[in-house]
Amino acid sequence: MSKSSANSNNNGHLVKISGLTLTYNNGEEDIPVLRNVDMNVAPGEMVAVMGPSGSGKSSLLYILGLLLSPTQGSYYLGQENALKLDRASQSAFRRTRLGFVFQSCDLIDNSTVYENLEFPLIYAGVERHERPERIRRALDKVNLAHRIYHRTNRLSGGEQQRVAVARALVNQPRLILADEPTGHLDRANSQMIMDYFGEIVSGGQTAIIIVTHDSEVAARCHRIYSLMDGVLQT
Amino acid sequence: MGRDFKTNLNNDLDLIGGVTVVKAYFDNQPEFLPQWFRPATVEALEQIKGVVRVSSVGNRGLKIMRHNKPHYIQMLAVDEAFWEVRSFWAIKGTLFGKEAIQGRKLVCVLGETAAQKIFGTLDVVGQTLEIDLDVYRVVAVLGGITVSAVNNAIFIPVTTAQDRLAGNLLVDLVYVRCETWDDVGYVASRIPKAVRTHQSADRLQVDVAWEGLKRVRRVVWWSEFFIYIALAATLILGGIGIWNVMMAAVRSRTREIGLKKAMGAEDKDILAQFLTESLTVSLSAAVLGIILGRAIIELMGLLIGQRPQEDLFFLCMILGILFGVILGVGAGLYPSLQASRMEVVSATRYE
Repeated sequence: MSKSSANSNNNGHLVKISGLTLTYNNGEEDIPVLRNVDMNVAPGEMVAVMGPSGSGKSSLLYILGLLLSPTQGSYYLGQENALKLDRASQSAFRRTRLGFVFQSCDLIDNSTVYENLEFPLIYAGVERHERPERIRRALDKVNLAHRIYHRTNRLSGGEQQRVAVARALVNQPRLILADEPTGHLDRANSQMIMDYFGEIVSGGQTAIIIVTHDSEVAARCHRIYSLMDGVLQT
Repeated sequence: MGRDFKTNLNNDLDLIGGVTVVKAYFDNQPEFLPQWFRPATVEALEQIKGVVRVSSVGNRGLKIMRHNKPHYIQMLAVDEAFWEVRSFWAIKGTLFGKEAIQGRKLVCVLGETAAQKIFGTLDVVGQTLEIDLDVYRVVAVLGGITVSAVNNAIFIPVTTAQDRLAGNLLVDLVYVRCETWDDVGYVASRIPKAVRTHQSADRLQVDVAWEGLKRVRRVVWWSEFFIYIALAATLILGGIGIWNVMMAAVRSRTREIGLKKAMGAEDKDILAQFLTESLTVSLSAAVLGIILGRAIIELMGLLIGQRPQEDLFFLCMILGILFGVILGVGAGLYPSLQASRMEVVSATRYE
């Protein structure tokens, strides 16, 4: 992974993006999705990004997850200029620094809870004998250790989403990116997921950025950003 | 087609005429000095490339006495190589071999017709015959004969015949067995030259069953043609099948691919995953084919009493696995590359 020159203006922020712009070309004209977005997130912070559909929330999250490249701008995660990484380094970055929680759980079909949590460890090169302990620890945090060898399609929606959270945690990432993590959950399960997120950030090492429509979820975060027509506002 | 296969097939095709046996003989006419094959000449014939074995034969008509009743019959004085060269076997008893030749034993083998004619039965092993005042013991009745003249003959060790029979017995006929039908033309063309290195080749005749050889070659050509067509069809259909299966797998698991990439899987991880799956499909098919092939060999072995050599089976097994690897990688490469190059965002949004 290439190291950028030290960013002296990080001011202890874990995430620092500035001047981020994303434009799509539909063949006839450039359509702006994100316009000059600036955002700072400190370790231990939980940040919500709200906005109507099509406002560019998910695109912002994908850029933060290095799944999408912006048209211009800069993105530092810690001291690392994440946008300067090549394809292989981006993958390494994702498996060591980032954790994803998607709206629709997105667990791997026909697999057990254990297998779902094992994949990130395999890609991170964690030794086989270390994996069970790390998986159990991650599941303990979401109170699902007793379901470790269950097939994921036998779990309830709330349990599946908790498995997805545990999977995002298993490699102890610095930044968790959650796209509508409670979108398909009832109130009780949503509450539970947010409680887990609260516990995670309380350690002061990890930051969470949540894209949500739900104002109750946003209210549990330390800061709320609003994204409207590609412009981010606090 | 492999040489081993041709050799085996050649042995089997002897049942329809022994087209790979070349017959060389001296056309001895009363007005010329008789010619016969010297031992050094026979050795020279054995040295010709493509020759498996040579058998020297002398023949003449014979009067056999049984219960004071004479039988006039063709006698072949043969060496121990004769049975193998002509692909003859015993239907009763045991054919005489090197020991009888070297020991000049008074033994004989009867063709089926000859046994029936003289004894009225085929159960003649152990019976005796009187030839030129000597008593010969019958040791076998011959099978595997497609020439009726030979079926009505008696076979005696060549050394015994030269020692014991009245008159001069000339070994003026040799049978030369070639390794495959591809060698027949070359061997036939080299025989006169090999003979001339040790003796005169005057009145030497070389007979090849050209018509039979042509038929065999035609059968083999068609067999090879169908084998190659089957190979090509397997390659194409198997390849298309695996390609289809893998394309469908990639399509149905697009979200999974996106997810794994989001977890940090590199392109090479996804490529390796799908190539492994493709190889698993093709190698499983190869192993299944090997098991099925083995089962058919065992079954045919029981039914016809013949089976290919073990090393030929192992060679086919290795080729089958190699073929499976080539097919798996060849057909799975494009779908695997597609999977590995998939963009994460579009993959995770795929419905």
